[in-house]
Amino acid sequence: MSPSWQHLQACSVIGAAHRRQQKPCQDASLSVDLKGRGGSLQLLVVADGHGGRRYRLSHRGSALACQVSQEAVEQWLACTPLQDPERWRQLLEQELPATIHQRWLAAITADWALQPDAEHEPFSPLLYGSTLGLVLLAPQWWGCTGIGDWDLSAIDQQGHAALLSEEREHGGSEATGSLCQELDQQLWHERTQLHPLEPQTDLQALVLSTDGVRKSCATDADYLQLCAALLDLRDHQELEQGLSHITQAGSGDDVSLAIAHRASKPRRSVVPPGSWCWLLLLLAASSVGLGAWLMTRQETPLQAQVRQLCANPEQIQATLNQRRAQFKALLEQPLLANQLQQPTSSDPLGTLIATSQSGPIPGCAALNDELSRQWQRARATAVPAKGKMPGAAAPAAAPRNP
Amino acid sequence: MPFPNVRLSNRPLHFIYLCDCSGSMAAQGKMQALNQAIRQSLPGMAEVARENPEARVLVRAVRFADQAAWHLAEPTPVQQLQWRDLEAGGITAMGDALNLVADALQSPPMEERALPPVLVLISDGQPTDDFDAGLANLMRRPWAQKAVRLAIAMGHDADLEVLQQFIGPEPSGRGKSPRRPLQASNATTLAQYIQWASTAVVGAASMPASRVAATDTGGATNSQANIPLPDLPPTLLDPSDDVGPLVW
Repeated sequence: MSPSWQHLQACSVIGAAHRRQQKPCQDASLSVDLKGRGGSLQLLVVADGHGGRRYRLSHRGSALACQVSQEAVEQWLACTPLQDPERWRQLLEQELPATIHQRWLAAITADWALQPDAEHEPFSPLLYGSTLGLVLLAPQWWGCTGIGDWDLSAIDQQGHAALLSEEREHGGSEATGSLCQELDQQLWHERTQLHPLEPQTDLQALVLSTDGVRKSCATDADYLQLCAALLDLRDHQELEQGLSHITQAGSGDDVSLAIAHRASKPRRSVVPPGSWCWLLLLLAASSVGLGAWLMTRQETPLQAQVRQLCANPEQIQATLNQRRAQFKALLEQPLLANQLQQPTSSDPLGTLIATSQSGPIPGCAALNDELSRQWQRARATAVPAKGKMPGAAAPAAAPRNP
Repeated sequence: MPFPNVRLSNRPLHFIYLCDCSGSMAAQGKMQALNQAIRQSLPGMAEVARENPEARVLVRAVRFADQAAWHLAEPTPVQQLQWRDLEAGGITAMGDALNLVADALQSPPMEERALPPVLVLISDGQPTDDFDAGLANLMRRPWAQKAVRLAIAMGHDADLEVLQQFIGPEPSGRGKSPRRPLQASNATTLAQYIQWASTAVVGAASMPASRVAATDTGGATNSQANIPLPDLPPTLLDPSDDVGPLVW
């Protein structure tokens, strides 16, 4: 195994709803060590079959998606040195999606030929529809790509989780990309990342999951907390039990997780020896001054909200993601901002969002950066006030996921 | 290791009736039939909710006559719902009703993790206010775009065109379809449609399943493809199968 990544785990558990309806688990997952001429590479894959009558073989589609992903990565690993991350970035963006898609179509076509229905029913890739998310873990870098509504989170050395990759919204609906669509490189490109691993990289683990996991959590903050806590699971059995609990208490959907830990490294102190005493003294003095200052000052709900968010910057994105609809609503209904900014407003986060519409707010850079990003996204997806019926405005090629 | 202390949650499924309470609903027992149909459908709806614990079915109702108002304002778990009778009288402020529902479909109060809502519009006449403005306002809400929108026309005076606009683009081909206004010509048919919407549709909307929009709709764009609507009850597929006398 690569010395940089350890304790790879992947697990899929049938959803509580599917178990009750005696349907198969439509999720599949994989974690595997691959050897090539270029060295050792680890692979995590999750796939989520769409389910339902129209996609009745999607449990096979997701399993085949995992299988062909491994084959495709092995194919490129055999001829591509791991020491060339730029080439791997290109592979993740272009060749790998094409290879996986091609192999998946061939695999489901061959599988269909074995089905009893094949004699009297025309073949359609829809029958096998599935999402796919994969992560490659090399000693010097890691990368991901895929299509659909899977999520990828990173946990840093302090145990804080952050969402690194999620599917963008498709036209305001719960649409998702799928392998059963014609190959759309752009959809894969949007989910592609490659990051070098430097000695100082503050990454402890990566968690890849199908949408059922995130949708089982009450909020995105809960989802991130869950991802961080998963690192404490000791073995596959605990992971499986945890997933069973998630689907029973949550969405009822099939659930999959794939996890990789970075090998631990010695912590290096960034403070020279002897400086600690001065730092502690400074900190104590600052605390006294800050306390006195706070005593004389009444904090408004908006200020309290800003302080709370800036104290937990890793939760800013998840918190604001919860309010995507509010960002859009503020663009579409200018009067809403006035309501939210009234002193009587009982929604301080809404007040914060409304206030940020006219520019940066007094607060940390992380908060303002994320607010700016959310506004950009809202502007890109906002429905025109006098637009057509949204039913006709939905993208034609976008699958949906309620 | 104990399971991490995070909040897991089933997903709320908001089911909203929009009921025409104009004066014409008092005629020929229509109001009485609607109250009866909704009340009778509740045990079946509760049973579907019990069978799908991953969805939390919450019911609300709007009444519209001279103006629109919440008849059942709080999202109420179907198991706890006790239907109070609607009363007829006034004109048909349907656009106002759509505005009211539009306000309720904002996030917040709508939960980020909610399932696509189900909206059922029931009317026997024509809107007397600005229906287009109400509909445009409603359809600006992402949750309304995601919603399963059904319409039931009570009797032959109902404005099928506005009901179709509420549902969305008309499907190709002829014949009855849940993506067309469902025409109830008597109390029995109405009860069957209400029963279907509150059980089969709620069951479908509760399912955690993905799907591909482009092919669900035969290539046409349609927000209703969020949920594959179940077939109508067999007796309602053919107009000649309608049960009971033609009274409306």
